[in-house]
Amino acid sequence: MKEYDIIIVGAGPGGSMTAKVAAEKGLKTIFFERGRKPGEKNSSGTGLGPRMFRDFPEIMRQLTPDKCPSMREGKYQRSYFVDKDDKVGAILVTTPTNSMTYSPGKNTYDPSKYDKFITMNCYRSEFDPWLAEFATNAGAELKTSTLIKGLFKEEGKFAGVIDEKGEKYKAPMIIGADGAISTVAKSSGLRDKWHSEHITVVPQYDFHAPKENIEKVMGEETLAVWWGVNFPAAYQAFFNDGFHIGLGNWMTYWQHNPMYYVNRVINVPHMKNLIKRLDAKPREVQSHLLPWLPYPKNTHCDNVILIGDAGGFPCPLEAEGMYPAMVTGKVAAEVAVEAISAEDYSKAFLSQYDERWEHTSVGKEFEDGDVLWNVWKQLPFHATNMQWFVPLMTEIISAFFCWSEPHVVRIRQMLSAIKSMLPEAMPTLLEDVVPVLIRVLGDKLDTMLDPGQMMTAIPKLLNMLPDKKKKRRGA
Amino acid sequence: MVDLDNYEYETISTHVGDTGDFISIDNEKCNNCGRCLVICIKNLWKKKDGKIYIVPEYKSKCVECGSCALVCEPGAIDFSYPAGGTGVVYLKG
Repeated sequence: MKEYDIIIVGAGPGGSMTAKVAAEKGLKTIFFERGRKPGEKNSSGTGLGPRMFRDFPEIMRQLTPDKCPSMREGKYQRSYFVDKDDKVGAILVTTPTNSMTYSPGKNTYDPSKYDKFITMNCYRSEFDPWLAEFATNAGAELKTSTLIKGLFKEEGKFAGVIDEKGEKYKAPMIIGADGAISTVAKSSGLRDKWHSEHITVVPQYDFHAPKENIEKVMGEETLAVWWGVNFPAAYQAFFNDGFHIGLGNWMTYWQHNPMYYVNRVINVPHMKNLIKRLDAKPREVQSHLLPWLPYPKNTHCDNVILIGDAGGFPCPLEAEGMYPAMVTGKVAAEVAVEAISAEDYSKAFLSQYDERWEHTSVGKEFEDGDVLWNVWKQLPFHATNMQWFVPLMTEIISAFFCWSEPHVVRIRQMLSAIKSMLPEAMPTLLEDVVPVLIRVLGDKLDTMLDPGQMMTAIPKLLNMLPDKKKKRRGA
Repeated sequence: MVDLDNYEYETISTHVGDTGDFISIDNEKCNNCGRCLVICIKNLWKKKDGKIYIVPEYKSKCVECGSCALVCEPGAIDFSYPAGGTGVVYLKG
């Protein structure tokens, strides 16, 4: 039986990060991958945000197109609002504004190109093996084509893992980096099965498009979200030679086959037109499970820590997964080093893991995880609420740029349309959206709603209203 | 463009090696709700004579997402991954 200090099950971004940090800190490290190489079993939206470059500069600075040819960054993100007749009623394009303080430029291989961007996309089949090399270069042993079937115990404690051939690998620290269906979580008793509203299934297509068409048609655009009435919000991530189009929802959502909804998106006339202009062709059909939680619980027990998807760490708002996996992987490795030096692998000692990830950018996100998770659940994931949300957004965005009537008349028409939607929209706005605003504004809300300030503002506002003015003047 | 209900066509995903059996259903536990038939993007679950089963060729078609097991309320579907180094290979995941 081979013995190690730390065993990591899974060689995705989280597992490789854990293995890299553990090996660098001198631990005898092994990490397992069930595929023939990392990344060949994974599908993903694959958007890497600027935080990746801030928090992992020593890695991300080395990411270049010769290593990941599909990589493509972009400054523009587009939201399409698609009505019940599959018509695009409004399009909103955004780009990092002046209030965005962090620019990843200096941590990329080409600062001029990578100044401020929304996301950088690249295929998992390229990114994952590239990242795993950092771990093997640091001295970690990578064992591929190996499926871990469970943990084994010695003297009542988890002592290592067993592979499909019955071979045992022993270590006092075991890290579950094995994704949504985590053998480590199950075998350690940390989780038997996800709650049905804590796990989503995400079907997607990969489309191929000639590189020159991507450049010509998409320009600096890298990401799109299709907010639809007839399908859950769909993402579209553009790569160097193609794009992913996919969507997700809880296990309880699907009235039709998940692909039915993806097919509805790609059959939206506006999308068909885009596909035609790109000369894009469907290349691969993929599907994966994606945990989506308000807060990760049961992240560790004696000898075991769960990271990334296995631990339920994807972003509570929109389920970004690779970044939280790498952050929690790094933290888990640091805690493992201390556990090994203290020779204390108890749940109590490993609770440092929670204390530490809670102080990272991932922890900050989960501080408000309950309201963020809920607002996504009530809007993009909610078939009925999207029936008013999409037309509401469409009215707001579209009315100002319309020359069919005098602008004031047009804005009144918009307000009247919104008013008619309010009875349906109000419960969700009050119960699910307002709590997010309250959380975001925090103490500032107190100041804004300060009675003194309101008392000075209200008469001024009233004076601006013509009817009120007239009434008070006795006209 | 892809038909809404009939989306199956050749893609570049490959399946390699001998996966061995990795999905099974316990028809004693199954309550015939049919959620597995709806959720499988590859349509690998079928129903015949009131009994739900997975098609025998699933090993060369399944994309290993595991949704069938997650959607199964009574826990009748057992999903484990195929043998290491076998099964679906995504080239553009």
